[in-house]
Formats: sequence, C-alpha cells, structure tokens
Amino acid sequence: MPELFRRLQYLLGRRRHERELADDMEFHREMAAREGRSNFGNALHLREEAREAWGWTWIDRLSQDLRHAARMLRRTPGFTIAAVLMLAIGIGVNGAVFGFFNLLVLRPINVRDPATLLRFHRRSPTQYAFAVPYPEAAFFREHSRTLSAIIGVNTTSVSIEGEEKPADANFVTANFFRELGGASSLGRVLDPAREEAAGASPVIVLSHGFWQHHFGGDPSIVGSTLRINDKPAIVIGVANGDFSGVGSGLREPAFWAPITQQPYFVDGSRLLTDVSEESPGVSLWGRLRPGQNPKAAEEELRSLAAQLRHQYPTAIWKDERLPSQPGGYVTSMITGGSRGTGAEKGEPIYPVFALAGILTLLILAGACGNLGSLLLARGVARQREIAIRAAIGASNGSLIRQLFTESLLLALLGAAAGMMLGVLVLRGFLASSGAPSWLDAAPDWRVGAFALAAGFASAILFGFTTALQIGRQRRRANLARQVLVGAQVAASCVLLIVAGLLGRALDRAMSSSPGFEYKQVVSISPGLATNGYSPVRSQAYLDALESRVRALPGVQSVSLAQSYPLGHVTIGAGTDVNGHNVEFQVNHVSSEFFETMGIPILRGRALRPNERHAVVISESMARIAWPGEDPLDKSFTLGDNYVVVGISGNVRSVKFGDSDPVQAYFPIEDADQPSLSVLVKATGSPQDVARAAGAAARAQDPNTFPTVELLSDAYRNNLQDAEYTTLAVSALGSIAQLLACFGIIGVVSYAVSQRTKEIGIRMSLGAKPAQVLSVVLRHLSGPVLAGLIVGVAGAVGLAQLLRGRLYGISNLDPAAYVAAIAVFVVTVAMAAILPARRALSIDPLRALRHE
Amino acid sequence: MPNSEMPTGALMLLILRVLRAGPLHGYAIAQRIHMLSSDVLHVEEGALYPTLQKILLKGWVSSEWGISDTNRKVRFYRLTPSGRRQLDAQLAAYERLHQAIQSVLHTA
Repeated sequence: MPELFRRLQYLLGRRRHERELADDMEFHREMAAREGRSNFGNALHLREEAREAWGWTWIDRLSQDLRHAARMLRRTPGFTIAAVLMLAIGIGVNGAVFGFFNLLVLRPINVRDPATLLRFHRRSPTQYAFAVPYPEAAFFREHSRTLSAIIGVNTTSVSIEGEEKPADANFVTANFFRELGGASSLGRVLDPAREEAAGASPVIVLSHGFWQHHFGGDPSIVGSTLRINDKPAIVIGVANGDFSGVGSGLREPAFWAPITQQPYFVDGSRLLTDVSEESPGVSLWGRLRPGQNPKAAEEELRSLAAQLRHQYPTAIWKDERLPSQPGGYVTSMITGGSRGTGAEKGEPIYPVFALAGILTLLILAGACGNLGSLLLARGVARQREIAIRAAIGASNGSLIRQLFTESLLLALLGAAAGMMLGVLVLRGFLASSGAPSWLDAAPDWRVGAFALAAGFASAILFGFTTALQIGRQRRRANLARQVLVGAQVAASCVLLIVAGLLGRALDRAMSSSPGFEYKQVVSISPGLATNGYSPVRSQAYLDALESRVRALPGVQSVSLAQSYPLGHVTIGAGTDVNGHNVEFQVNHVSSEFFETMGIPILRGRALRPNERHAVVISESMARIAWPGEDPLDKSFTLGDNYVVVGISGNVRSVKFGDSDPVQAYFPIEDADQPSLSVLVKATGSPQDVARAAGAAARAQDPNTFPTVELLSDAYRNNLQDAEYTTLAVSALGSIAQLLACFGIIGVVSYAVSQRTKEIGIRMSLGAKPAQVLSVVLRHLSGPVLAGLIVGVAGAVGLAQLLRGRLYGISNLDPAAYVAAIAVFVVTVAMAAILPARRALSIDPLRALRHE
Repeated sequence: MPNSEMPTGALMLLILRVLRAGPLHGYAIAQRIHMLSSDVLHVEEGALYPTLQKILLKGWVSSEWGISDTNRKVRFYRLTPSGRRQLDAQLAAYERLHQAIQSVLHTA
C-alpha cells in the first residue's frame, strides 16, 4: 500500500521528480567526464528507462497519442465531422431506445427508498387478479409484521367541474405521500393524522400536470373548492412535478384524494366494503420492514389471506397467494388491471425492446461499417505519413496504437454527440406521447455508460481492424473493405425490408375490415359498478336506458356487452376445451350484439334473448379447440356448461396486433349487469346520437357519470400506435440506406482514384465505357450480392419474430421484399454509378501521366 | 576494462549494501561499487538509475539534498530502516544461496 501511495506521489509531482532525475544523471555524466570516462548513451532514452520504474509512462504515451490524434482529426475537419455525425446517429438511436428502457425498467422511480417497495397481486392455482379488494388490503395493513406500510391506490374516472371529459382520480391510502416521500410544490399533501380523523372534510391534492394544464399554474387554487362528481372538495395542495407516486402508470392522475372519501365522491360506491373480485379494488404496494425480505412478506400475506378466508370463504380464493415484484420501478406501475382464470400474461415490454434494440443495433453496425471503409480509404491516403513514421523508428505496435487512439477519440466524440442526440429524440418522443413530467429524459450514469460502451464497441469494430491493416502496411485492404460494404448492405437491407413489411401491415390494417363495424357505433359506459349499483338495480337502469336510446332518432340497433372491441376492459380465461388448454377473451353480450357490432355469424346462429348455457365462439377458437371438427352443438365448461350454438368472425379488438383472436361470447348473467356498456349503432351522424344518448344516460341518474365514446375515435387512436411504429422503422431504414449509400459512394470514388492509370491505359487501347465501368464496379458486386442475401435472410428471421406482435405481417410477403430490394438496388446503383462516371471522363493522356 | 553484466536483483543488493555505511549520491554509489569490486564491476547509468528509482518506490532508501565534493547541490540517497531490514534479509538469502552453490561446487 505505501508503495502505491509513493507511486501516486511520483505521478502528482512528476515534473519535479523528472527534473531531479535529470539533475542526478547530468551530475553523473559530469563526474564521469571529469574522470576521463565518456558515456555515449542517449541521455533522453536513458532517462526514459529510469522513469519507467515509476510505472506512469503509459499516461505520457496516451496523452501523446491523444494529442497527435486530435491534431490529425483537426487537420481533416470534413472527415471528422462526417465520422462523428455518422457515429452520433448510430449511437443516438440506440441511446434513445436504451434511455426509454432505462426509464421504464432500470431506473427506480422518484420515491423515497424505492428498493424496499413491493407490488403485490393475487394469484391462486386457477385465477389471478392485479387488483386487491380494499378490505383485504386493510386486513394486511392491520396484521402484517413484515411490511411497515401498505399503500393502496384506486383509480376511478370522475367528472371535474369545468372539464368536458372524465378524468382519472387516484384514491389512495392516507399514508401515500408520507410513505413515498412525495412533497407538495404548493399547499400541503395528504396527512394520515388529519385525513383519517373522524369527520375529516373531503380534500384533494392536484397533480402538477393537471394544475398546469387546467388551471394555468394558478397558485390561488389552493384553498378553493372544486366540485368533483358534483360534490365539493377543498384543494389542499399541488404535488411536486417530479413526484411519480405509484399506481397511475404512465398517465398522471388529475388528483389524489383519501381512499376513505371515495364513497363520498362516487355515489353508492362499495369500494371500502366489497371483498368480491368484481370490486374495482386497489393496486397494492407494501414497504418491507428493515431486515425483511420479499419471500418472508409473501409467506406472511399468504397465511393472512388464509386467515381472512375463514371470514369470506368465497371472495378470498382457495390457496390464495400474493406474489410480489419490485415496486420501485415504472414496470410495476404499468402491469395491468386485468384479471382472469389461468395464468397471467408475461411482461410484453421485453420483446418489444429486444426488437427495437435489434433494429437500432443494425443502424450502428451500418454506421461502423461505413466508418471502417472511410478510415481504410484515409489510411491508404496516409500511407506516406505512416511509412515515414515507420522509417524513423516507430514500431508496428506504436503505429497501431496511434491509429487505434484516433478511432477511440472519434468514438468518444461520437458517443458524446450520440448521447445528446439520443436524449433529444427521447425527449421529443416523451413530449409527443404526453408522458408525465416526472418521466425525465435527462441522462443518468446508466445512459452515459451505455453511450461510452457503445462508442468503445464501435471503436473496436471500425477502428481496430483498420488500424491493424494499416499498421502492417498492407497495401491491399480490399478484403476488409468488401466485408464492410457487405455488412452495411445486409444491415440496411434488413431495415428496409422490415419497414416495408410494417408498411404493408399497416396498409392492410387500415384497408381491411377489423372484423367489426366501428364507424357508426357509439359506446356508453355508465360505470354502474363504481356507483355501487346492485345487479337488480343495474338491470332496471339498463332496461330504461335501452328503451330511451331506442326511441332516439337515427338509432338502428342497441345492445349490451361487458366489453366491446377497442374498449378498455378485457377479461381473459383459460380452461380445458375439448382436451385442449385454450386461452381466450371472455365477453358477455346481449342477443343483438352481433348485429350492432356488425360481427358476422359464419355458422349456426347468434345468442337468443334470455338464453342460458349457450356460447358463440370465434373462428380462431373453433379452429384451435376443435381442429378438423365441427364445433356446433359441442360443449365446454367454464364454471357452467356451455353449448356452442354459433361461430362468429374473428374480431381484432384489443390491439391490431392480435392476429389470431380467440374469443367466446356468453349470455349476460345477473352478476355482469353492473359492468355492462350500452352499444348503439346510428344510421345517421354518430356524433348526434352520442350527444343525445349521453344526455339520456345522464338524465337516468344524475349521480352517475357515464363515459360516451365514438368507436371511430378509439379506432383511430389504436391505429396511431401502428403508424408510429411503421414511421419509426421507416426512418431507421432510410437512415441505414443513406449510410450505406455514403459508404458505397466512398468506396467507388476511392476505386476510381486508385485506378486512374489503369483506366487511362484501357481507354487508350479502346475500351468501351461499359468495360471501364466494370473495372471500378467489379469489386463491388460480390459484397453487395452477399450482403443482399444475408440481409434478406435476416429480414425473414425478424419477420418471424414480428408476426406474433403485429397483425398482418406475413412471413413471405413477396411484394414487400421485392419493393425493398428494388429500392435498395436502385439507390445502390445510383450511389455506385455517380462517382464511377468520373472514370469515363478521364482523359487518357492525363491519366497516363498521373503519378 | 572488464564489464560484467549484473542482474537487477544483485545490483539492488549492492546498492543497499554500499549505502549501509552512510548516504551517497548516485555517482558515488557507482564509484564505490567499482572500487570495492577492485575495478571488476562497472555500474552503468542505464542500470543504476532505473534500479534506484525502483528502490525509492519500495521505500528502502530516501533521498535528501546535499553538497558534492565538487561543491554542487546533488541528491544523496540514505538507507531507511525498512531498507536496512530488506538488506539483512537479502544478505541472509544470498548467503544461503551462495553456500549451497559452494557446497555443490566443492563436493560434486
């Protein structure tokens, strides 16, 4: 240790020590000379050898190399700018994807001590649900020893005075802000002592975003009264803009309010008392006590649930467990509010990121290939300089080191520029998608490390081989250049084809029918369950509303459904059907549903009014459950026994990504009544019907706040996602294409300049233009062809991956492939022929005098 | 003049040994070794100074300013306590090795 310390001292006092050493050695020479002995060694060299003992010479060498590299780059600003720009694009697109991944998965959210937060959901051998009934959460809160706090969040849609559209409110346990370390930027936040006191008055804390957008950041809002669902509440404060909270996903709620006041705002709500799984419940977070681990907490909650089951033998499931996941990350907030039988669906975001990562890495690979060939060309141009340096004693190793340092410096500049570009792209993306303000695109150490690593990896990729090539003074770096061109062609080919496939898929999604009628349909969701309607009351309400709506002018058909295409509710089920384990979407619908939604009945018939034990299944479900058989009059069990009476067309409802929709439509049961929506098909303008139907629903019960939606709006929103994806991939494809073109232009121009003499001889011997062109293009065709083949193969592989995600991607879509390849070949030919034409204009006489 | 190459380890031992008597400057170290070896061992600059740097780093000698016979300000090197321990240990090890070699040479 003391030796290391002294070594450091030598580093810090290097100049002084160097002077002393030089002094010593000079004195030594003087004395030796005085005694008649002369020394012929190179003083500088000897001193350097002595200094080497300190172990810091590499720093000198590095700084020397860096200085030299900087000088070289400054001398050719055009090359440097092009190279840095190319790298910045390559690293930037990767940085943006990584930055988003970092925000969602890697970076803890901005709450106090995120590492000890856990998110829980419910699981039993046959069922799962992400929402936990409030009484169950309250029971855990009272009895848990491993968790120091239980945080519950319920999201309810409410109407806010002065707002046209319903907004999301988060009803939270009063400890929410204190536990998560959320502060207010104005006024105060929720305080357990005050909010849980008997007779506490209704209060809300506005979110920063809502305050900004709807009150223009007016500070006088604090202390004023706002009517929520027509009930007055006092605004006690505005939360900090960087406070994420938990439970709201990527959508900022309008406000937070104590969960105990939810029934005050929502008439008839039984949120606080309902234990059944139909209760909207809460998303549940817990904070581990110091020294406890997630396993212990899960074990404890399991036994607590078993205890609670004595009290609620049906509502709490048999063998109920509460699996946990880390709760301090955005991922824990975006896992759904879904429930169903069977197993919950895995995280869908990882494959999406993997896919995006592959595409953007292809860009980086293309950029590196490009840069590699640029450097090679430059290296050959620098042959003289390198030869001179080798002649005056630079070793091969030091030459390679020097050249690699140049690449490294370029990579460093590229990484810095790329990181900035990535942050800009990500910021633009977040702003355009309306993400909450706490989702901050500012780079952290992970993003910095990623950019550095990407830069370093690219430096190795594009710099090392070239440095080796040049360092060994090999005149022909042709092979390396051909491999680089091939790699670029392959990378941009993959991107172009995938962009083509996506474009075709989008086109198909837009032009082909999604399997249902959306242009004329209006949905009305009265949200009876939130208002605590019993099934009987719900039925009365819905019957009355249905007849009112039917009486409206321009209404063609009215029906009821638990969920509807493009709606927000999806219920999954998995069960044994005809010996196959089938996972499908469950819907409960009235008999007129198929007519209203324009879903064709392909065989059999639709459901009849008041029919029980009958089911209509989708085409896909028929194929999966009864392959090669006739499913009509067959039956399966889901709680009850159901006979298949009809087969309907497939409905691509949830997302257009669903290419094989497995759906089953059951008759409406009493328990479903409170969660039903009314669907109306209009003959004339759906907007008019929507307005009239909304008013009718509002008049039916002024305490409810129905959501009225045009399905055509939902349809457009849904398509937008697909449009963005296609746009992004097309942009990537174009960038890659552009990079490849630059590369090819560079290679061909270089070939022309190298072969000027040869071309001159050929021309003077009477070569035709085509023959001259073939001289410069000869070496290009092989790598381009090889790249094309590899690229097409890669695209086929990627398409296979994409097929599961996006509707309408077909494996072998000849049109997309042919179009992409055609675009590619044409641009490559242009890129090659433009500089090659220069060869034709060569004056043979001048060319022969060349060099 | 005979010029015997020496391994670094041996040179290190010799430097430490000649410094035991008292601090010396670089040239004097070389002179001392030359003289004591009856003009057999000749220590070149190229070997002496790198080795000195190593010893300095190890902390076996320290340097201080002094005045040479020619009235010039030069650095004198002084054995530190840890250098003395190191010298004793190295001497003992060398002694053992030497005896072992001797006994082989005499009996074989």
